[in-house]
Amino acid sequence: MRDVVVVGVGMHPFGKFLDKSLKELARTAIWNALKDAGMGPKDIQVAYIGNSLAGLITGQEGVRGQTVMRDSGFSGIPVINVENACASATTAFRGAWLEVASGNADVALAVGMEKMFLNDTSKSLQALIADSEVELAKMGIQFTAYYAISPEYNLKKYMKDYNVTQEHFAKVTVKNSQNGSLNPYAQHRKPLTVQDVVNSRMIAYPLTLYMCSSMGDGAAAAIVCTPEVARRFSSKPQVHVAACALRSGMFRRPDDTETPSSVSLVSRQAYEKAGIGPEDVDVAEVHDAMAPAELLIYEELGFCKKGEAKRLIDEGVTSLHGAKPVNPSGGLAAKGHPVGATGLAQISEIVWQLRGEAGPRQVANPKVGLTENVGGVVDGESAAFTTTILKR
Amino acid sequence: MANGTGNSPTPPATKEVMVLEGLFHRSSGPGDKAYLIGSTCSACGYVAFPKRVVCPACVRENTMKETPLSTRAKVFSFTVARVAPPGFTAPYLQSWVDVEKGPRIFSLIAGVEPTDDALVEGQDVELVIEKIRTDEVGNDIIGYKFRPVSKGGKS
Repeated sequence: MRDVVVVGVGMHPFGKFLDKSLKELARTAIWNALKDAGMGPKDIQVAYIGNSLAGLITGQEGVRGQTVMRDSGFSGIPVINVENACASATTAFRGAWLEVASGNADVALAVGMEKMFLNDTSKSLQALIADSEVELAKMGIQFTAYYAISPEYNLKKYMKDYNVTQEHFAKVTVKNSQNGSLNPYAQHRKPLTVQDVVNSRMIAYPLTLYMCSSMGDGAAAAIVCTPEVARRFSSKPQVHVAACALRSGMFRRPDDTETPSSVSLVSRQAYEKAGIGPEDVDVAEVHDAMAPAELLIYEELGFCKKGEAKRLIDEGVTSLHGAKPVNPSGGLAAKGHPVGATGLAQISEIVWQLRGEAGPRQVANPKVGLTENVGGVVDGESAAFTTTILKR
Repeated sequence: MANGTGNSPTPPATKEVMVLEGLFHRSSGPGDKAYLIGSTCSACGYVAFPKRVVCPACVRENTMKETPLSTRAKVFSFTVARVAPPGFTAPYLQSWVDVEKGPRIFSLIAGVEPTDDALVEGQDVELVIEKIRTDEVGNDIIGYKFRPVSKGGKS
């Protein structure tokens, strides 16, 4: 496999943009990535387009990538449509990386895009439910409650076993809201207090409204190429793709407490491929779809032992100027969660952090960054899991 | 339909629609017990729900035989959803239950007020087939739920 670098990234801000189409969101992100790379559309040889919900929300079920790419000024090049629920964008990134790593192409584009806000919120919520097995959805799952009780998370048991409280979960949201207040691409820019979060509307115990990520509109893009090609176009510090791992959820017997979680398994694959361990990660963007997930992810990524995540949030280890900053962008909580765009927004943030371009939310001199992204629900577990490791 | 007589003055009667075919057997009367339809692997004994063709445990094809699941289960986890998808009414109880000699499955909970202390983990519950929601045209969608086993056994 060849060495691959991320030569350009770009975003359209996440938020509520009732007057903007999916094409406009994607076009902005794509052209920002092109400008960042010093490239034009004719330099791109292949494109992977991640999106989850357009078929149900706008009705554009087929060829959604081709419609967007033509609008953005591309023609002729191969376009591959990628759907993996909330992990669509990092799955698209993996496709672009493999094109260059395998030698099939020298320059590839990955796009993540989602348009969720319409004048009809119930339509958007119905579309989201289709990111689970539809037979199960018919039984009456409400995603927040489902998350709280699913065998994968089982939050009340976690709280009891490790003496974790709602305040610990709230502190995750508070940290991410502070980071998000510094991010011009974030949907929610208001810093919150622990009281704000704990006292916000109860959705499904232990989860309150502000512990949950919100839907949004947005897009993000990344251009990958060989280091040699990158040098011809850009003088920015090179960010190498050290690993990009993808797994699906797996069969587990109800009494199986030994098999590691799928987040643990996919991140171990990525660490092994990158030749590093969790102690080497300087900054991470993780999938805090609900605030408690971020704590569980600290443990699953090996940033601490099982049950010790609350110490990391209590002691500020994962805050912007802590030893292990997590979600400097504000995470899904503050940045917003346009599902098919989220993964490439994580990649964009890590690239900016590794180049030292993150402005007021820049963490101290990171050399290794990681993204963790999950999507969908099948059989009581998330459906798709990715971990990507980027190195300066 | 063919001999249309124009606008009918009476609204259509509420119909009962099964949430999914092949998911459960509904009692037709006394002596005919309701049950969930699962499958048991003739090679390894694993019990799956809903029924499967390929055994998820030993991964052999065509070893799964359709079987009724036990109607008894224990609560694994639960919470009260205070918002609801279309057709459902909040608050309502969502749960995962461990079916006796069977799998861990998602279920709504019937028969108790939807409060945060309505159940305890490990509590005995039993199957009930009833309406889970109303659809857009007013039909009753029939599905499965579990409810606490009343003290003294039989309900």
